[in-house]
Amino acid sequence: MSVYSLWGSLEIGLIFGLVALGVLISFRVLNFPDLTVDGSFPLGGAAAAILIHHGYDPFVATGIGTLAAGFAGVITGWLNVRLKIMDLLASILMMIALYSINLRVMDAPNVPLITESTVFTVLQPAGLHDYVARPLILLVLVVVVKLVLDWFFATQVGLAMRSTGSNPRMARSQGIRTGNMVLLGMGISNALCGLAGALFAQSQGGADISMGIGTIVIGLAAVIIGESILPSRRLAITTLAVVIGAVLYRFFVALALNADFVGLKAQDLNLVTAVLVTVALVIPLIKQRLRRKRVE
Amino acid sequence: MILHSALRSLVGTAAVVGALAAAPAQAQSVAVTSIVEHPALDAVKDGVHEALATAGYTEAKGLKWQFQTAQGNNAIAAQIARKFVGDKPDVIVAIATPTSQAVVAATKTIPVVFSAVTDPVAAQLVPGTGPSGINVTGVSDALPLQKQIDLIRKVVPNAKKIGMVYNPGEANSVVVVKQLRELLPKAGLTLVEATAPRTVDVGAAARSLVGKVDAIYTNTDNNVVSAYEALVKVGEAAKIPLIAADTDSVKRGAIAALGVNYHDLGVQTGQLVVKILKGAKPGDLPWETSSKLELYVNPGAAARQGVTLPDSLIKSATKVVK
Amino acid sequence: MLSAQNLELTFNPGTPIETQALRGMSLDIPAGQFVTVIGSNGAGKSTFLNAISGEQTVDAGSILIDGEDVTRQPVWDRAHKVARVFQDPMAGTCENLTIEENMSLALGRGQFRSLRLAVREEMRVLFRERLAMLGLGLERRLTDRIGLLSGGQRQAVSLLMASLRPSRILLLDEHTAALDPRTAKFVLDLTERIVAEHGLTTMMVTHSMRQALDVGDRTVMLHQGRVVLDVSGDVRRGLDVPDLLTMFERVRGEELADDSLLLS
Repeated sequence: MSVYSLWGSLEIGLIFGLVALGVLISFRVLNFPDLTVDGSFPLGGAAAAILIHHGYDPFVATGIGTLAAGFAGVITGWLNVRLKIMDLLASILMMIALYSINLRVMDAPNVPLITESTVFTVLQPAGLHDYVARPLILLVLVVVVKLVLDWFFATQVGLAMRSTGSNPRMARSQGIRTGNMVLLGMGISNALCGLAGALFAQSQGGADISMGIGTIVIGLAAVIIGESILPSRRLAITTLAVVIGAVLYRFFVALALNADFVGLKAQDLNLVTAVLVTVALVIPLIKQRLRRKRVE
Repeated sequence: MILHSALRSLVGTAAVVGALAAAPAQAQSVAVTSIVEHPALDAVKDGVHEALATAGYTEAKGLKWQFQTAQGNNAIAAQIARKFVGDKPDVIVAIATPTSQAVVAATKTIPVVFSAVTDPVAAQLVPGTGPSGINVTGVSDALPLQKQIDLIRKVVPNAKKIGMVYNPGEANSVVVVKQLRELLPKAGLTLVEATAPRTVDVGAAARSLVGKVDAIYTNTDNNVVSAYEALVKVGEAAKIPLIAADTDSVKRGAIAALGVNYHDLGVQTGQLVVKILKGAKPGDLPWETSSKLELYVNPGAAARQGVTLPDSLIKSATKVVK
Repeated sequence: MLSAQNLELTFNPGTPIETQALRGMSLDIPAGQFVTVIGSNGAGKSTFLNAISGEQTVDAGSILIDGEDVTRQPVWDRAHKVARVFQDPMAGTCENLTIEENMSLALGRGQFRSLRLAVREEMRVLFRERLAMLGLGLERRLTDRIGLLSGGQRQAVSLLMASLRPSRILLLDEHTAALDPRTAKFVLDLTERIVAEHGLTTMMVTHSMRQALDVGDRTVMLHQGRVVLDVSGDVRRGLDVPDLLTMFERVRGEELADDSLLLS
C-alpha cells in the first residue's frame, strides 16, 4: 500500500470518525436507532457545497451545513417525542424526506468543489503536501471534538442525557425533561454527521446526492469495531475507540483495494472488507479464549 | 571463506541491479476506475483496453493495467482515487462523473482521462472547451439533443407531449432534462417529467406518464438503462412509443435510438490515453465529444407500441434489430 | 403536606376490559408522617402512587403537595417535591452509570441542569459519608458501574439517593418486595433510619400486613380504589395482623380472599 493510500485512509477515516461519534450519541447514549444520518451527512455536504459555490466563506458554509444537519436531527427527535412516532420510523421518514431536500439544496444532483476554495485550501500550510495536511488538520479537529464531547458528557446536562438513554423513567423521576434531552442529543449527533459531510465534500471534490448512502452502516461498523477493540465502560475511552474504529475500517477498505495480488477482483471489494472487519471483531474473542487456556 | 561470501554478495547485487534495470522502460501503467458496474460503463473500459492493445500496449508486453469499481459508493471512489495516485500510474482513466471528480480532486500532476461524463465543465473537471492546460482531458458522451428531438419527430410525427423518465440524482440526466426543457418548446413540444430515484421506481414513473404523453424519451440514465424492461412493459401495454439514447436499449424494446456506442467511446478514450503514453501532455489535448453516432431501429417493437416506422428511417439505420 | 381529594381513574374506559382503579380516593398526610398503605391486588395502591408521582394522570379529583395543585403536572415538574423508590431495583437506577453518577443525578433532582461538572469533589465527600452508613463498603466503589451491585445493594443506594435532596413526599413502592427476607429487613431498617433522620413525609406501599403495622405512624388500607381503613396512634399500636383482618371484614362485610396478605 502506498503512503498516499495510508494518508487517504486516515483522512477519510477521521471524517467518518465524526460520523462514528454522532452515531455513538444516538445509538448508544440515547438508545435511539437513528437512520437520519444517511440524509444529514449529505445535507451538510450539500449545504456547504452550494454556499461555497455561491462565494460564501468555506468556514461559514461548513458551519451552516453543520447547523442544517443538526436541525434535521432535531426534527427526527421531534417526530418521536411530540408526535409519538417510533424512533426508527421517524428517522427513516426524515432520511427519505432529506433526499428531496438535498436535491433542492443543491439544485442538481452534484455540486463540484474542485476549483473552489475550501477550509482545506485556506488552512493549507506551505511546505506540506495537501494529502498530508488534510488528515493532520482533521486530526486536530477530531481530537478537539472528542474532548469537547467528553467534557459535555461529564457535565450535569450531559449526565442527564445519558440517563435519558439509560433509564428514561428514572430520569424523569429525577426531574429531567427527557423529551428535550432527546431533541438536544439528536441535534448534536446529526450536526456531527453534517460536519463530516461538509468536510467530505470539500476534501473529495464535491457534494453528490448519493454520498450519503450507507453512512449509517459505516458509522455503526466504526462503533462496533471500536468497542470490540477498546472495550471500556468509560465514555472517554469509547469516544476514542469509535474514531479509531472508523479509521481502521477505511484502512481495511484500502487493504482490500490492494488485494488484487491474491487473485481477487474489483467486484470482491465488499466481500474482502467484510472478511477483514469480521477478523477484527473476532480477535478479542480469540484473545479471551487464549487467556482462558493459559489460566487452565 | 571471505572470498566465498564476497562473491555471493556480488552476485546478489548484480542480480538486483539487473532486475531493476530489467524493469522495462516501456512498462507503462494505466489505472482505470468506474463508479459502478454497468453495461455501458463496462463497454467503455473494454474499449480503452482495446485501443491500448491496438497501439501495442498489452499486458504481455509489460502494460500494467488495473481496474477498480467504487460499487456506487462515493467514499470508496475517494479511496480508489487515493490508491491510484499512490501507485503513480502513467495515466488514470476515470469513468463517469463522481469518479472523475474524486480523481481530479486527488491529483494535479498525474494525467487524467475522463470518459462518459456528459458535462465536464459543469463538473469542474476542465475549465472550458479546448485544451485544459491542466492534467485533465477526456471524452464526453454528451449527445447533440437537437438530433434526438429530430429522431423523436420522425418516429412519432404527431406527438405533442414527450415524457421523460430519469434519476434526479444523476448529474448527466439532470443536464439533459434542463436542456430539453428549453429545446422542446422551440420544436412545439412539451416535456412531461417523471422521476425515478431508484431502479425500482422506473416502472412506476413510466406508469405515471400513461395518458399524459405521446412518447417517452430516455437518455443514458443509469437507473433507466438498468430497468429498461419495466419501461418496455408500460410502452407496449399502453401503446406509448419509446425512444432511447443508447443503442443497447433498442434490442431490449426501444423503437429507436440515436446513440453513442459506448465501446467506441471507450476506444476514442483509449486513443487519448495512447497519445499521453507516447509523451503528449493531457493539458494540450482538447477534450472531445463522441465522434460517432449510430441509429438503431426495432420495427417489431414499433409495431407492438403502435407505430409504423417510415422506410427512409429504417434504411438510414446503422442496424435494424429484429 | 400531601392532600389527595376524590381521585378518580379508569383504565380502558368504554371497552370490555374497563377497570375503575381509583374511585374517589382521598387521603391527607400531614408533614413528617410515615404512612403505610396496604391492600389486595387491584386495590389501587400502585395507581395511587403513580397518580401522586405524575406517571398517571387522574380523570377527576385533585392532588395538592404543600398547597400546590400538581394534578396535571408531568413527572419532571413534580420531581423537586416528590422522591420515589421503585419496586424493581433496576428501575430506580441507571445501570451503566457509576454509583457517583447515579447519586449526582439524584442530588440534582428537580434542579436546573447546568454545564457544570456533574460529579465534583465536594459531592464525593457527601456521597462517601452517606454510603458509609450502609456498612456495605460501597463508599470505596464510587466509580463502579451501579449495574455491578446486587438488587439489595441497589435498593439501599436508591433509598440514599431519594434522601439526598429534601422532598415533600417520599414514595416507597413495595421497595422490599423483590428482595430476599434478610436483605428486605436490612432495607426496611435503613428506611426507618433515613426517614427518622431527615424527618421525611413518607408513604410506603407494602404487600405485607406485618410490615404495614410495624413500620411508620399510620396505616391505611385500600380496597377497590378507595380508603376503607385508616388507623393510627394508640388504636394502631394495639393492633395485630388478625385484628386488622377482622376490622377489614367488618368494614367491607366480606371475607378477605387474598392469601398473600395473610401469608406475609
